[in-house]
Amino acid sequence: MPIFLGYFPVGMAFGILATTAGFGPLQAVACSAFALAGAGQFIGLSLMPAANVFGVLVATTVVNLRYVLFGATMSPFLRDTTLPTQAALAFSLTDETFAVNIADHQQGLASPSSMAGVGAIAWVGWVGGTMVGAYAASLVGDPARFGVEFAMPAMFTALLVGQIERKRHIVVAAISAAIAVPLVTVLPNKWYLIVASMAAAAIGAVVYR
Amino acid sequence: MNTTYVWAVVIGMGVVNFVVRFVPIAVVTRVQLPKPVKRWLSFVPVSVMAALVAGEVLRPGGAFPLPWQNPYLLAAVPTGLVFYKTRSFLGATVAGVAFFLAFRVLLG
Repeated sequence: MPIFLGYFPVGMAFGILATTAGFGPLQAVACSAFALAGAGQFIGLSLMPAANVFGVLVATTVVNLRYVLFGATMSPFLRDTTLPTQAALAFSLTDETFAVNIADHQQGLASPSSMAGVGAIAWVGWVGGTMVGAYAASLVGDPARFGVEFAMPAMFTALLVGQIERKRHIVVAAISAAIAVPLVTVLPNKWYLIVASMAAAAIGAVVYR
Repeated sequence: MNTTYVWAVVIGMGVVNFVVRFVPIAVVTRVQLPKPVKRWLSFVPVSVMAALVAGEVLRPGGAFPLPWQNPYLLAAVPTGLVFYKTRSFLGATVAGVAFFLAFRVLLG
């Protein structure tokens, strides 16, 4: 239930922002249904329409590189499952489902079916929210007077704070921001994001060994 | 935005998001990632978010406004605090938009 409650409103925000940016409602819902990638979808959206398709997909992939780590972390207790099961769990792998499944696993409660259930709840919340947001957006009118242009920066700020678990994360975040700001004016199409984040993460990996 | 472009992004996003999640699980059930790669990956999310927030908040709409005249920057600070206290993405986003509207009114 907390997963559903967590996803529904953010899905709604995506539906509203996507249709505001020029997606059709069906396209917004399809995007959520196929990708199920909260931050990745928002970042892709923030690059459109300036970046070409390739640029948007690279940005989404870079943001979702953390799933390589999540997948690697979950792999040891998926060794006995079949490839189709792994595919289903991979499709529904998100920050939240990962957190819940790892917590369940630590209490000995996780099984392939429990993890599939968690994934299904997340998907329904995310896609349902997008649907409501996408179809209700047209009733709302010009969203700028509600301050919607700050909704994405606000969510990214919250996501940033959520990523900070230790002092080293603050240091790496500061490095990344310091690299990003001068690059913003130099590089086209928000490539600063990819360059700054990959470089800062590399510095972090070298310093904190 | 034209329809083909949007559909290409929608479908492409679906594909890359699946690949980036599935391939590691399929592969790592067999091999171990080198330690430095794991460490690098662990710093990627926080770096991405920091670069993104810096770009969006310090340079909204393509200009660098003075910090005390920038409602994006002024609103981002209490937004971060709300999330830190509540751990609610929804609460922080809604509060953030309210802070933003308030600062925009105050700054004229």
